[in-house]
Formats: sequence, structure tokens, C-alpha cells
Amino acid sequence: MKVLEILCVIMFEGAEISQIIRGVLIIIGLAKLFDKCGLKWQYALIPCYRYYIFARCAAREAEGRILFSLNALLTVVGLCSSFYSESLLVTTILFVMTMVYYLYEIRVLIGITEVFARKKRWAFLWMIATFIVVNLWGWSPKFQPQRRESDIREEIETFFSNAHMDVMQEGLTVNLEKRTVSEFMQKKTLLRDVHMYIQPGHMVLLLGGSGAGKTTLLNAINGYEQADAEIWLNGRNIYKEYKDMQYQIGFVPQQDLMRGKDTVWYTLANAAALRLPVEFTRADRVARVETVMDIFGLKPVKDNLVEKLSGGQRKRLSIAMEFLSNPSLFILDEPDSGLDGVMARELMEQLRLIADQGKIVIVITHTPDRVIDLFDDVIVLAKDADRTGRLAYFGPIGEAKQFFEKETMETIVRSINRTEEGGEGRADEFIRRFAEVQHG
Amino acid sequence: MAKNGRRALRSRGRVYQIPIYFGKLLRGFAYMNDWKVLPMAAVIAALVSMVVRKDFFVTMEGTLKGAFALSCVAIWNGCFNSIQVICRERGILKREHRSGLHITSYIVSHMLYQALLCLAQTIITVYVCNLCGVKINTQGFMTGNLMIDIGITVFLVSYASDMLSLLVSAIAHSTTAAMTVMPFLLIFQLVFSGGIFSLPAWANGLSDITISNYGLRCIAAQADYNHLPLAAGWDTLVKIENEPITGETTANELLTVVRKAVGDDSPVSQIIDTVTVVTAADPAYAALTEEKIPYSVNLKNIIDGVGRDGLKKTIQERTSASRRSERYEQSRENIMDCWFTLFAFSLLYALFAIIVLEFIDRDKR
Repeated sequence: MKVLEILCVIMFEGAEISQIIRGVLIIIGLAKLFDKCGLKWQYALIPCYRYYIFARCAAREAEGRILFSLNALLTVVGLCSSFYSESLLVTTILFVMTMVYYLYEIRVLIGITEVFARKKRWAFLWMIATFIVVNLWGWSPKFQPQRRESDIREEIETFFSNAHMDVMQEGLTVNLEKRTVSEFMQKKTLLRDVHMYIQPGHMVLLLGGSGAGKTTLLNAINGYEQADAEIWLNGRNIYKEYKDMQYQIGFVPQQDLMRGKDTVWYTLANAAALRLPVEFTRADRVARVETVMDIFGLKPVKDNLVEKLSGGQRKRLSIAMEFLSNPSLFILDEPDSGLDGVMARELMEQLRLIADQGKIVIVITHTPDRVIDLFDDVIVLAKDADRTGRLAYFGPIGEAKQFFEKETMETIVRSINRTEEGGEGRADEFIRRFAEVQHG
Repeated sequence: MAKNGRRALRSRGRVYQIPIYFGKLLRGFAYMNDWKVLPMAAVIAALVSMVVRKDFFVTMEGTLKGAFALSCVAIWNGCFNSIQVICRERGILKREHRSGLHITSYIVSHMLYQALLCLAQTIITVYVCNLCGVKINTQGFMTGNLMIDIGITVFLVSYASDMLSLLVSAIAHSTTAAMTVMPFLLIFQLVFSGGIFSLPAWANGLSDITISNYGLRCIAAQADYNHLPLAAGWDTLVKIENEPITGETTANELLTVVRKAVGDDSPVSQIIDTVTVVTAADPAYAALTEEKIPYSVNLKNIIDGVGRDGLKKTIQERTSASRRSERYEQSRENIMDCWFTLFAFSLLYALFAIIVLEFIDRDKR
């Protein structure tokens, strides 16, 4: 009997008969509701976790995670109540936790009213009579969600390019099936179906709205965050030979990640000691540092502290650090952020010169139009209906303008951005069209 | 040889990377004003010395307070040396780790640099204490010089705290987070030192994992705490010595007290016995011995009568016996045990810092 009692407490978060009946009704209603939202109805049977799934129905995943955690915690505290004496401290903690729980519950309930296109006042009814409302919304055909996860997936599944690129002896071949992360017992796909080949000597612009997967793609390409993919650089598989090829790829982060209180010379000399192989003698390293300082115009400031450099000089130093190992693939995440137009142009021209040496340069920038003449190709990433980053276009700049029927890169980004982000919300259209183009 | 007939390029090994980062840290000493921690150590040591100098290494209470204060100074110095060093450059560290930096080399270079910093602070602290009049420049138990003995302990306490802060700095993702944790860390160390505050039984386990506990224990042992006098009893007596003590007594009561004090074998006792027998025989004298006599004396008269120095020594020795503790026993084993534990703490914290930082790539973007 004791086991049964505990099971009741776990399943229904309460041991009294009325609570059990209410609990059963809520589970039945939730199962129907999950089914309506395109999620497995069985989730309703899992204690605590069902609240996270409910939050997903309400398009409030983040709040769902907190609800789950709080619910689990409160259930455990409830189960252990016989082992501790109720003190003021415990009561206060429980009170605060319950208040936070209700706060997040309100957010989720408002979310569910939005998904079902109902007035927000329904959230109040949900609060006071959950077991009735959940069954009403679950069983009544009048209540239908505007967004079903399963529908979105089915729709997306129909337009994959699966255009597997042939591996070339020179250049960069990307065959990325997907990049996923495990988040809260769920696999989340960040990026999917990216296939392309970039020729050596090309400077490529990487475009995409916020959260489209630009940095994820760059990290997948340089092997830092490996994806379900095959990335080939000059005929060598980056993932399989990562240790050897690490220094053939230069990645310049968005922020100037350098020690401000070190001199330019020491910053480069130490970077050379780290990046250049042991076969390089001290004299070789010094020579390489001197050469790189010449290329990036850093010689006049070699004894200056990094923090005393101008924004442009600091960017150049950051790039120079990666350039020391003479990489064949050069990736830059917003190198022009914080620079004025003239400086940004100068920096991009320098990158063009690097590309002209037969290297591949991939650049993320949010102000592409002022330097668009320097780029050969553009990669456009967009979020599909499932909020997964997808390839909306890859190819020459001129053709991109024709493909999107836009004159500037900024208008291209606007066309693929979601409407709530101030865009035209045409991402799926272009993803589908480009998948068809690639599929042939 | 790598695949495709290409020769594999070898990057710099762990040992080679240590001087690179050690050099960076030494430059940081000048450029980043890290040297400021040295005058700060002097100021703190001077302030504490001025408060504890009178009784430190002189009495039990003074030594315990002084040992606690010195441990606190060392912990404070150590914590502030490294609490921000890793978290303030976490982004840079991530970038460098991506470029081939070995976390072990990074932490080892920090360990070397922080050891130098702690050593300099220790020398300053001990020197300033001596300068401020703390009786530290005497014979030591371990090395023959108490300044060196105490210096080793202060260094180890300071270094262990430094490594603990380094660990916090490795865990924290921002300087704000690290500085938020810092007060809790200090309070924990100070409250659970096990010397000043009497702890409940359940807290003894916690006390065993605090740096301050070993620091305090070691300094007290080096000062030979167990053989120092306890000043509290005598001081209390001296404070009230001028207070008048008044009352009434009888000649008989007085004689009984004197007899008890001198003992049975004393000639005085024989005289008292004779007097008692004689007076008891005559009712007039007997009534007189039972008559109440008012008196008014003060302790000063009694102390002076008995002998001030002798009494002081007796009281201090007798009361100090009750305070002796195995924890503070001046023995090679006890002191070595403390030193070894403090050093082991340092290594353990550094090891944890390495383990934590090995996962730095998993930081959320």
C-alpha cells in the first residue's frame, strides 16, 4: 500500500483522492492536447516532464525547462516532507519557489492562448480550473493550434537538396548533413543540409539573420564543433586529420581576444610559438613575425601595448595572429564590427589581398554592401520553419541578386528574416528553391 | 607521418609552453600593476601587527589571536592575488586553447608565478611584523629561526588560498561571479578555522578542510602555545585587586583558616591548638572568640602579602594547563603534518582548476 501511495504522489503530485482525480483528468486532457500539437500523447504520463512538453506546445521552451526543474524540485521536497521538520526557512524557500513557478506558468499559459489564437483571459481560466480547461481544449474541435510541430517537420522533410559535393584536390568541400545539440533530453538541429564547394582564391561572404547558424557553420567547417559532416580542405578531411590541419585554418573571432597589457611584438611572438610547428627555429619564428607585421602594417606599433592600439590596428593584429601559421582557409567573424567605413574597407581590401594569394577567405559581416565588390561568392543561411539553419543560397554575388530579385545584400537578408524580426519571412521559399536548384 | 604521405606537424609541447605563459605573467606584473599587491601586503601586515604585537608569542590568548590574524592576512593576500586572473581572460584562453594551448601549461605557469608573488608577500609580511614589534625574531623549532618557520607557514597558507582562488577563477565565467563568491570563501575560511570560534560537533569535519585551520594550528604550534602562560585569570585578578572586600568574622573562624593554610605540622598550628584549648576552658575567653569582628581588606594587600610575582606565575601556569591542546603541540610531526596538508591543498586545487578548464570549449557561446 505504501508503494502505491508513493506512486500516487509521484504520478499525481498529491495523495488525496480529489487530487488524484484532478491529476487523472489533467493527464487525459494533456494527452489530447499534445496529440493536437503534433507531439506524442504518451509524454502526458511522465511526471514533471509533461509540463515541459506543455510549454513546447505553447512555444515557450525556455520557460518549460524552468517549470520542469521547479516541478521536479517541489515534488522531491513534497516526498521528503516526512524527513524534515517544517521550519520558517523551509517554508520561505518553498513559498518563493512556488511563486516563481506560478510566474513561469502564467507565461506558458499566455503562450498557449497565443498558439491557439485565443484571448489572453483564457490563461486565467487555465490557472483556476486546469483540469476542466485542458480537457475542453484537448477534446473540442473548436480549439486548434496554429502551429503543429509535426506538420512543420513533414513540410521541411520534403525539400532537402541532398546535393553531395564531390571532393576536389584544391579548395573547400562542405557536405554537412546536420549539426545537432542535445538540449533538455531533446535533440535540437542547429544546421542542416549544407553542401557547397569553394574554390581557392575566393573571398566568400557569409550572410544570414540572427540565429541562422552562421557561427555554427564556421565552427563546423573549422572542426572546432564537429557536425555530422565531411569537410575537405585541399583534398584532406579536416575532421579526420584535425590535429595536423588545425593550423591550416585561421579563425578570427568577433571580439578582439588578446591581452591588452602585452605588447604587439610579444603577442605575435607568443602566438607564433603556439601556432608554428616545432620544426620552426627561433630565427624562423622571428622572421615570420616580422613578415606578418609588415603585411598588416603593425611594425610602427610593435612595442605598443595592445590596449593602446586603435580599433583597426587591433583587428589587424587579431587577424595577423591567425595569419602567422599561413593558413589555406581563413575564417573571420565580423572583422569590421566597431570600425568606421574607411577602416572597414581597408581591412576588407587586405583580406582580398590574402584571398588573391590562393587562400579561401570566409567573412561574416553585417554591413556587406559597402565592400561587396571585393567578394566572389555569397553564402546565405536562413532559419526554416523549424528554426533550423539551412542554406538559402550559395554562389556568385551577381547571381545571388538575381536569385533573390534584390539589389543589395541587406535587402536579401531582410527577405529571409522572419516577419517578427522585421523581415519578409520568405526563408522557406528560398530554401526550397535553392534545394531544388542544387538537386538539379 | 600523416595520411596522404604528408608529414605531421608537431606543435609545441606542454613543457615548452610553460615559459611562454610565465613570461606573459611576468610582463603582466609590470604592465597590469600586479605589483600593487606587494605594498598592500605590507599595509595589511602593519595594521594587524599593531593590534596583536603586545601578546603575540607572549601569552596563550595573544598567540591564538595573532595566529588567527596572521592566517587571515595570508588567506586574504592569497585570495586577492588570483581571484580574477583566469575569469578576466576566459575568452582569450578559449581562443588560445583552440590554437593549441595546453591547459596544464597554462595552470603550471600560473602556479609558478603565484608562488613568486606569495613568496614576496610572505617576506614582506614577516618583515613588517618584525618591524612593528611582534616578538618573532627568536629561536625557531624547525629551522632554528622563528621568522623562517613562520614565513614557511605564511607562504603555504597564502599559496593554498591562492590556488583555491585560482580554482574559483577557473570555474567562474566572469569577474563579477568570482568576486561574488569571494566573500563566502573568506567567511568560510575564517569561521571554520576552529581556533577562535567554538564550533559545534558537526562542523569539525568542515574545519578539517579549511586552510585557516592548518595555518592557525601550525603558527600556534611553532609559537609553543601549550607552554605559554594564560593571562586571562591573572589579568582578571589584577583588574579587581583594588576593590575592597568587607565582611564579619570571628577569632575562631580566623584561626581555623590560618590553621588550614599553614598545615597540621606547622608550629603555628600547635600554638593555635594551645590557644584554642586555653580559651575553651574559660567561658569569658570562649565568648570573646565567638564575637563578630568587622573587617575590610583588598586583594592587593593579600597579593602583595603572598608575593606578587610568585602568585602571578602560579596562577598563569595552573590556568594555562586547562587550555593545552594536542592540536597546538610543538612537535616536528604536528608542524610537518600542517605544512604537508597545506601543500597538498594547493596541488589539489590546481589539479581541479586544470580539470575544470579542460572543458572550457563547452562554454555556451
